[in-house]
Amino acid sequence: MKQALTIFLVVIFLFACGQKEKEEVSYRLKWLYNVSSVGDLYADVHGYFAREGLAVTVKPGGPERDALKEIELGHAHFGVASADQVLRAVAKGAPIVVLAQLFQVNPLHWIYRPDRTPFTSPKDWRGRVLGVTFGGNDETILRALLARHGIAESELTLFSVRYDYTPFYEGRVAFWPIYLNAQAVIIGEKLSRAGETYAFVSPDELGVRFVANSVVTTRQMLERHPDVVRRFLAALLAGWRAALDPQNEEEAVRVLAQTDRETPEAVVRRQLPVTRELMLPAAPGTPFGKIDVAAWKQTAAIMAAQQLVPEGLPLESILATDWVPSP
Amino acid sequence: MLLRRIYQFLIIYCLGVGLLFLLKYALGLSDYVIPSPAEIGRTAARDAGPYVLAVLNTLAVAVLGHLLSIGLATAVAILGRLTAWIGSFIRTAAYNIQAYPIVAVAPIIFILLGDGLSSRLLIAAMICYFPLLLSFIGIFSEPVADIEHFYHATRRMTWRLEVKIRAFENIHKISTVLVGSATMAVVGTIVAEFIAATAGIGYSIRIALYQSDLAKILVALFLIGVGTSLYLVSLEGLGNAFQARLKRN
Repeated sequence: MKQALTIFLVVIFLFACGQKEKEEVSYRLKWLYNVSSVGDLYADVHGYFAREGLAVTVKPGGPERDALKEIELGHAHFGVASADQVLRAVAKGAPIVVLAQLFQVNPLHWIYRPDRTPFTSPKDWRGRVLGVTFGGNDETILRALLARHGIAESELTLFSVRYDYTPFYEGRVAFWPIYLNAQAVIIGEKLSRAGETYAFVSPDELGVRFVANSVVTTRQMLERHPDVVRRFLAALLAGWRAALDPQNEEEAVRVLAQTDRETPEAVVRRQLPVTRELMLPAAPGTPFGKIDVAAWKQTAAIMAAQQLVPEGLPLESILATDWVPSP
Repeated sequence: MLLRRIYQFLIIYCLGVGLLFLLKYALGLSDYVIPSPAEIGRTAARDAGPYVLAVLNTLAVAVLGHLLSIGLATAVAILGRLTAWIGSFIRTAAYNIQAYPIVAVAPIIFILLGDGLSSRLLIAAMICYFPLLLSFIGIFSEPVADIEHFYHATRRMTWRLEVKIRAFENIHKISTVLVGSATMAVVGTIVAEFIAATAGIGYSIRIALYQSDLAKILVALFLIGVGTSLYLVSLEGLGNAFQARLKRN
């Protein structure tokens, strides 16, 4: 009996010694769980973080949750924020560093009905009613498009947009801002069912490359715990690559369905290919998550031109461009 | 009274902002998380003008909504006092409707009425209406037996006289309820503006939130506090003057 107890205790001791303590890491998303966070969830569920020795808590974001503030306050180690949020924060002295860029093309587009309001260039917006979220990044993007194409604000009507799409359905607003990989799939389906045609205006194709979701942390975290940052980023981006791999589509749908119970799986299945298009770098051999410095420069220039941030923000110290691992 | 209200509000505001500054400097936080006094000053200098106009806009809608609610609550409470069943029915309806979160009901209102003045007015009225109604039903349903008995005995009682007696005897309570519901009318208007309107200080706060600009929000809160204090003092002044006049008569 005594011998058996000794063996049991030795086994427990050896097992405990073999267990490496996982580091606790908190990761705050930009928005609620949806298709734009499928890779974050995939990395968590499929043990990518665990294999790097990290115990990551992935927390959903939301309209009143700001990942950048949480990171600075120490409530989260990593987060997701859009470029405009990052630049505003840095302009006010926040010690934020960008580690990777998730979307290579901004998912924000404008949906419209081509049979009613044909669109070939922003000049077609003259005399039309355009939806815009005042204070949101779509306002900044729209103003940049107008400035780029020499259209005065007085030549069109801006309509303040909220979550309710009724003004667009009723045709009172001709162009409505929408996230191409999320709501666009659902709204497009509703319009199709009603026998209506629809199309999208892509700011990126019109020359305005405004950076969207990026992975961020604090400068302190980068300097004091570079190993944790490296392991976190390696796991996260590997999770994203796997989630966006068409071969893993069913599994990605299943993972998202576990957390985002509001969106039917059939919808997620249609959202995934669009997300893939917006996130995967177009140039072959470019690693997933690569920071597009030229697009960041354009984003900073647009915001400075609209006096949202001062000119000459030190992008080279904000963008940690050499942290994205090669696949 | 005005000065006392204003400096009481200033003490509360300064304590709140002081606590934020304490946190900012103790934790070494950037102006992005908590703005510095200089940042708030710059924001106030830049945005106070439009924000004052926005607060006045909000107050105008809140006062209208409040008046609407007072009128409606008085009418319904007078009807509700007729029988115990009607009073109880109105109370149940009021409790139930009050339980619905306004953020869930608001989209329906905006679909029906659009995102203009009428929606803001209705939401402001809805938020302060039900507490008013419940208080008024209580006041108007409660007989003032000592006085009413005389008029009943002499067969001179009319429904108008009954309402007047009950209102007069509870004038202090009514005055308190009206002042209390005024704050709710302001809150209701701001909520409506935040959810869907395109004017007023609630709308400005929403834009500031999109821009993560706490300095703007602090300036807006200051102006809302001053504006609400002015409205409450005006109501209290009116109430006191009315009570004094009643006593004289």
